[in-house]
Amino acid sequence: MISELLINAFLVTIMLSIAIALIKTRTVIFTVILTSAYSLVAALMFITLDAVDVAFTEASVGAGISTILFLAAMAYLPKKEEESISSEFVPALSCIILGGILIWCSYDLPEIGQFTAPIHQHIAPEYIKGSKEDIGIPNIVTSVLASYRGYDTFGETIVVFTAGVAVLALLQKKDPAKKNKSQPKQKIRKNA
Amino acid sequence: MISSTIGIWNYWIVFCLMMIGLFLVIGRKNFLKKIVGLTIFQTSVFLLYITFGKIKGGTPPILNESIDSIYSNPLPHVLILTAIVVGVATTALGLSLVLKINSEYGSIEEDDISAQDLVDYHDDIETGKSVDLKFKQ
Repeated sequence: MISELLINAFLVTIMLSIAIALIKTRTVIFTVILTSAYSLVAALMFITLDAVDVAFTEASVGAGISTILFLAAMAYLPKKEEESISSEFVPALSCIILGGILIWCSYDLPEIGQFTAPIHQHIAPEYIKGSKEDIGIPNIVTSVLASYRGYDTFGETIVVFTAGVAVLALLQKKDPAKKNKSQPKQKIRKNA
Repeated sequence: MISSTIGIWNYWIVFCLMMIGLFLVIGRKNFLKKIVGLTIFQTSVFLLYITFGKIKGGTPPILNESIDSIYSNPLPHVLILTAIVVGVATTALGLSLVLKINSEYGSIEEDDISAQDLVDYHDDIETGKSVDLKFKQ
């Protein structure tokens, strides 16, 4: 029990310090590396919360592929973040107020780990009971993902496909035949 | 008493992380930093969901016939597995938008871009071009 708490406190401290470092840093490469580290520590946190499938997905997709995407994008972008002209007081204040409201509301949330919480009473027991006979896979997460809630996964693949098509459409090199069309716009910008 | 406070305390940490992510999104003017903030916010929401699914003394939801054990709730895990993949897709889309903006404006700072837009707007008024057309697009 105590060791669990210590591990939890340790990981939570790392996550908070990474998040604060992200606010402080202005260098893009540090930002990317810190984001990757944040995802990795979050994956460790998921293991302590019994979500092993989520942990390895987060470690491979969240900390791996996102970082690759960020690094690839970084190559074409300015390396330094500029200091903002406008004050950051209003956004900070609104975040603090919203956080305060959330913390105030958290007293109504069920205590962590209570078996009597509503989330554990609804449909999850049926999945756990039926998984072995219905699907025959010991991993309940897999059977829910692929069978009980298969349409969700289908929707997910559609979203990923749409995003892929949109990325391709955005990053497409301009067709030389269409160059004439975009020229007036460029001219205005040059005058500016 | 102590354990109950600790139980709630974990939620507080998640809320703090969420607010840091939100601050990066709305407070910072650099677009890459905004997307990083979005990622931080997302991961914190994942943490909140997984925290809901935890049962004290439970094991990961993989059936084990030798031990009669309590399993943590598998449903949030499934939802978050979907969300992680969708999150990467949205990150990729956001990054490609940032790249596009950078190639158009030569900057990814919000202040720079709105200043350029303002200059364009005033130029258009001076040269007598129809401004309406630009905003309709």
